[in-house]
Amino acid sequence: CSEYQKVLKEDDVKKKYEMAEKLYSEGDYTRAIRLFDQIVPNYIGKPQGERIIYFYADSYYQKEQYYQSAYQFERFAKSYPRSEKVEQAAFLGAKSEYLTSPKYSLDQAETKEAIERLQVYINSYPESEKLEEANAMVQDLRRKLDKKSFEIAKQYNTISDYFASIKSFELFLKDNPGSEYREDALFYKFTAEYNLAMNSIYSKREERLNNAIETYNVLLEDYAEGQYREDAEDMLTDINKELEQFSK
Amino acid sequence: AQAQDVDFDKGKTYTLGGLEVTGLKSFNEQTVITFTGLRVGQEITIPGEQLSEVINRLWDLRLFSDINFYQTGVEGDKIFLELEIVELPTLTDAKIVGVKERKAEGVLEEADVKKGEKVTEGFLANTRNYLVNKYKKEGYLNTKVYINTIPDTTQANGVKMVINVDKGEKVKIRDINIEGNEKLSDGRIRKAMKNTKQKVFGRFWKKSKFIPEDYQEDLKSIVNKYKESGYRDARVLSDSIIYNDDNSISIDLEVEEGNRYYFGKIDFVGNAAYTDEYLQNLLGIDEGDVYNGVLLAEQISDPNPDANTIENLYQNTGYLFSSINTVEVAAVNDTIDFEIRVNEGKQAYLNRVEVVGNDKTNDHVIYRELRTRPGQLYSKDRVVRTIREIGQMGFFDPETIDIQVLNPNPQNGTVDLQYGVQEKGSSQIELQGGYGGGGFIGTLGLSFSNFAIKDLFNKEAYKPIPMGDGQRLSLRLQASRFFQTYSFSFSEPWMGGKKPVQFSVSLSRTLQFQFNPLTRDVDRDQRFVINGITLGLAKRLRWPDDSFQLSHALSYQSYELQNYFGFQSIFPFPDGNGTSNNLAYTVALTRNNTSVNPIFPMRGSLFNLSLKFTPPYSLFNNVDYANLGDDPEFQTLNPQGEVVPDEGKISQEKLRWLEFYKVKFTGAWYTNIVDDLVLKSGFEFGFLGAYNQDRGVIPFERFFLGGDGLGNFTLDGRENIQLRGYPNQQLSSNVGSTIYNKFSLELRYPITLKPSASIYALSFAEGGAGFDGYEEYNPFELKRSAGLGVRIFMPAFGLLGIDFGYGFDRVPGATEISGWQTHFIIGQQF
Repeated sequence: CSEYQKVLKEDDVKKKYEMAEKLYSEGDYTRAIRLFDQIVPNYIGKPQGERIIYFYADSYYQKEQYYQSAYQFERFAKSYPRSEKVEQAAFLGAKSEYLTSPKYSLDQAETKEAIERLQVYINSYPESEKLEEANAMVQDLRRKLDKKSFEIAKQYNTISDYFASIKSFELFLKDNPGSEYREDALFYKFTAEYNLAMNSIYSKREERLNNAIETYNVLLEDYAEGQYREDAEDMLTDINKELEQFSK
Repeated sequence: AQAQDVDFDKGKTYTLGGLEVTGLKSFNEQTVITFTGLRVGQEITIPGEQLSEVINRLWDLRLFSDINFYQTGVEGDKIFLELEIVELPTLTDAKIVGVKERKAEGVLEEADVKKGEKVTEGFLANTRNYLVNKYKKEGYLNTKVYINTIPDTTQANGVKMVINVDKGEKVKIRDINIEGNEKLSDGRIRKAMKNTKQKVFGRFWKKSKFIPEDYQEDLKSIVNKYKESGYRDARVLSDSIIYNDDNSISIDLEVEEGNRYYFGKIDFVGNAAYTDEYLQNLLGIDEGDVYNGVLLAEQISDPNPDANTIENLYQNTGYLFSSINTVEVAAVNDTIDFEIRVNEGKQAYLNRVEVVGNDKTNDHVIYRELRTRPGQLYSKDRVVRTIREIGQMGFFDPETIDIQVLNPNPQNGTVDLQYGVQEKGSSQIELQGGYGGGGFIGTLGLSFSNFAIKDLFNKEAYKPIPMGDGQRLSLRLQASRFFQTYSFSFSEPWMGGKKPVQFSVSLSRTLQFQFNPLTRDVDRDQRFVINGITLGLAKRLRWPDDSFQLSHALSYQSYELQNYFGFQSIFPFPDGNGTSNNLAYTVALTRNNTSVNPIFPMRGSLFNLSLKFTPPYSLFNNVDYANLGDDPEFQTLNPQGEVVPDEGKISQEKLRWLEFYKVKFTGAWYTNIVDDLVLKSGFEFGFLGAYNQDRGVIPFERFFLGGDGLGNFTLDGRENIQLRGYPNQQLSSNVGSTIYNKFSLELRYPITLKPSASIYALSFAEGGAGFDGYEEYNPFELKRSAGLGVRIFMPAFGLLGIDFGYGFDRVPGATEISGWQTHFIIGQQF
């Protein structure tokens, strides 16, 4: 029976506190967390609590349990707003939230929360040396949200619901004018419009072909040397060929 | 801090000279000061935001019932403050008296009485009200609840709580007396009162109890009942409740019926999208009909989303912002004219359509199933249908799917939709060892219903298994000393991601060794091997309606016997060596519009028509099956030296490539009778035939009726048909039936439909029979049974159940009727 096991079962809060701090400084976070779990409630509101909750949060952070560390760092920042560590805690809390953000194809509640917390951090500590990192994280998360909307709109084209795809890209381009996916969105909007027009009944085809050309023009204007140029031009040739029958 | 200088004109900035905390009981002064965040020596503006912030922060802790700051002195620019707090007492123990002991704990939990709660007046009042209402709802009308709090001497500022519950006697309604009614009988009025019933011996469906809220509702129901029959002015003049000596009550009602009215002219105003005639037809009420206010309201708007109402007509065709008001414009004698005023508004188109809450399942799996997409017209029935279909995917808890209509914009005619889902566990792991059939049997089964095969080699995705692409993967290994089976199956609901065409593949291999039960020896050289592969495609159809699915499957099985003498009824090979191949094509048409929970459908129906057939080899292989015995190639010498047909060779010839066709037709209807009670009525029919009567019907693929219907032993392709109340497979002959039918009625009632466990009780009556050929078929000669049972569905275990069935008829060959039989149901779905 190790000393750790003994202390774990003991009632003496002080002993646990000492051992937890020792384990934390040695980097044994798993065992430190178990002790902190037991003693944190006793120290809430007490001066030592400031140290303990910070260590507690940091232990979770080091163990990559980011849901826990995000919560504990936030709790720390709320309870000790005047602490020297508060900026550090706000940063690590926001970063923990950033690290909980799942891949783009799942629910993005954590991503939105992380953007919010990073933004609060950026606004509160405009002089911070972590500013660059924080901004990079925000950008990364925004890109993820953009990718999500983009992929959903693109899928509608894949499953041949061109109407839904066009509408979704329209909204995407309106909502995210500066998105990194703007070029892709314009190209796939053009593709969906092309597909819709080509599969339309005669009476609606001309109008829809012209709609597609409009999008083509925007794409070519903004991304003259873009990656989709060749494909787009091929499709335009098809459209023009198709339009000939209407000009007669 | 700079901004505040200007804003607070009256505030004065001091240095905090000291802070004293008074009124402490269990807290330490230093602790409270730390809570406030104030430090001696800091700057403080009074009055100002700082102190109110501190007060708010302390309130948020919910530890104090009063918080006050006082100024105790000012010296120059130093200010001294006193913080007076009143601590809330903490609940250290709670007891409840007057409730059955074993229920006490549960009641406290329900009422949210927990140790450590802060005891406020509000907490006491809530607890009292909760308990009084709880027992009133159970019919204890005279419930009284007293709560005493006693200081706990062992703990600073702690209190103990004793709750005295005096339920009194259950109050029943002895009689309901009605006066003033001529047009409706007492009985009809009492029937209209849905939840307030007289005490009647023998009725157990609805117990007689008096719940004030329900009673008030029921008084309205009486008036509505009159309205349905034209008595528009009917009202309840007075109602009195009389307490009787025998702890029951009597209710005296006096009604005034008034005159009978008729519908006059009904005009539509404001409708542009639909003509008057169209709406008039939909309304279905004509001038001169007996006035029926309830019907009129129902024809215009009904909470049931499937109802054919005017409101739904508009809501299903984009008119989200429409409203419909019915106004009485004239009442002449007994005739009332109506105006139905329609405010159509703009048609609403969908903008953003989002799904939230999917933290395991990838977007593309859900979005492709949505029936509401950006750019479409808003339609209520499409929303309802989407919710139903998301529920049926099996990845989300069907009971908690919700829809939010966001950013409705009547000017632009746009609206956003957001579907909220909650993932539920949809994987099953089966790992078991057991002793059965003369040896140890080990089973390992894995079944993932939301797999992502593209992440199979992606280490990151193993949390704990790659999932989220909606694919189904299952793997099952079972082995004992004398047999081994391996099976694998995979399916992808949208092959290629473009069209809803489901692709599936399954592989299986079974090895069976000769086992001697006396010596307990296994001879692995004597073996029976079955290998199989099935490829399937299933496609949802749009015509005749989009609940139809057409599926195709190509399957191949090979059977190989090596010195193996089991299953002689199927494989009559005298030397124990032979092979058989089954190459078949199955085409099936299914219609499923059950809703909403696949584990417990409440309504809808499910039909399945399938045809399985092999190539007609005998048409072109020129073998004369009737006279094989005359062919020298199929003859042998018997011990007496005579030439006789070689039965082994003949059997081998007939079984080398199986030749058959099989037709099955099954159907089930789910009808919601009352409340959550559902009637499932179903039929099944199956027929196995041969193209070439000389070859005969194969001994494979046959139907075995009776018992639980579980398909544990299906190596010859047999189908076990459930017919409870009889022993397993005993209603068919040894070789199995070639034709069968079955009819069943099942009443189901859910006990709980939580995602963690769905439980329902059922009772059934069914009948069915299997026959050895078309000549024997008689649809009226059924083996009947009835009984009851229960089903438990837990996502981790699948379905478990037990049924007790009573068979009214004799099993073939038996002298007595079947009687009571117990059936355990494991893993069989629905």
